[in-house]
Amino acid sequence: MSEADLALWLTVGIGFGLRLVGLTLGGVLRTDHPAIAWASAVSVATLACFVALALVMPSGLLATVPWPARLAGVVAGAAAYLGLGRRLLPAMLAGLAGLLLARLVTG
Amino acid sequence: MAPSAARDGAREALGAPALAMAATFIAFGAAVAEAGLSLGWSLVATGAVYGMAGQLVLLQATSLGAPAFVAMISATAANARFLPMSVAIAPLLGARTGWRRLLVVPFIAITPWAAGMRVLPGLPDSARLPWFLGFSAASWAVAMATTAAGHLAAPLLPVEWRAALLFTNPLYFALLMAGDLGRRGVAPAILGGVVAAPLAWWVGGAWGLPVAGVVGGTLAFLAMRAR
Repeated sequence: MSEADLALWLTVGIGFGLRLVGLTLGGVLRTDHPAIAWASAVSVATLACFVALALVMPSGLLATVPWPARLAGVVAGAAAYLGLGRRLLPAMLAGLAGLLLARLVTG
Repeated sequence: MAPSAARDGAREALGAPALAMAATFIAFGAAVAEAGLSLGWSLVATGAVYGMAGQLVLLQATSLGAPAFVAMISATAANARFLPMSVAIAPLLGARTGWRRLLVVPFIAITPWAAGMRVLPGLPDSARLPWFLGFSAASWAVAMATTAAGHLAAPLLPVEWRAALLFTNPLYFALLMAGDLGRRGVAPAILGGVVAAPLAWWVGGAWGLPVAGVVGGTLAFLAMRAR
């Protein structure tokens, strides 16, 4: 089994475990219990860090997109999200369009 | 009552929110193909991890050549929200469901959870579990089909389109977090994660993200407790 496969199955197992523990604790612990609040904060912070790195210092193929084009994508997506009633799909399409258009300009 | 509740749930899952979710799974399938991993890997990740944040972090870590244990820690940090989400939804699944409530275990993910938290309190007790399972099964099926579509279609697309597809997921999560800013505790945790991003860069490699996530999240948690 490759490292990628092993990592995948370990993650599957831990994910099932977290959900099972949560379901068992539901009704016993409140969602503002310190342990639950800490897990929630770590989860959001990890995701925020991932997004920040992916947008500012991406790796792989996304790194081939110039930063002005990435910035244009974020700005177009955020503007559409705020201007079109916080709907995700139009905002994502606007973000992609912004990135592709800016790429036409920046090359 | 139960079959009709399950149908209602499935019908709701196939509405507008499914389209945004589908776009992220297409992008994930394409990213897995880009990383040189198999269609089977992408389908197990979607079907059994079933938490896009963790899936993306897992993919990034394995692409960096991280040892399996480190990749698992990174993905688990990103999906640690499974725990509070499960705690929150458990009391809403109905009384006297017995072992059948275990059927929801694989399906506690952001889209079914958010819908369940909104709809379940308004349903009769006996309809809650079937509704949630109907919704979850339908959205899971959409996720699997679109992951496969993304994986199979990616190699056929021009490089600019593939790069744009990879942009979809960070954008999706940036928008999702922006929409969530008003919820208690979210803004400090986002700030903690962004402030800790240079730490991830400094630590580098596969450990960078989980270290930054734990440090940023813990600082946010302590700041909230101190207030």
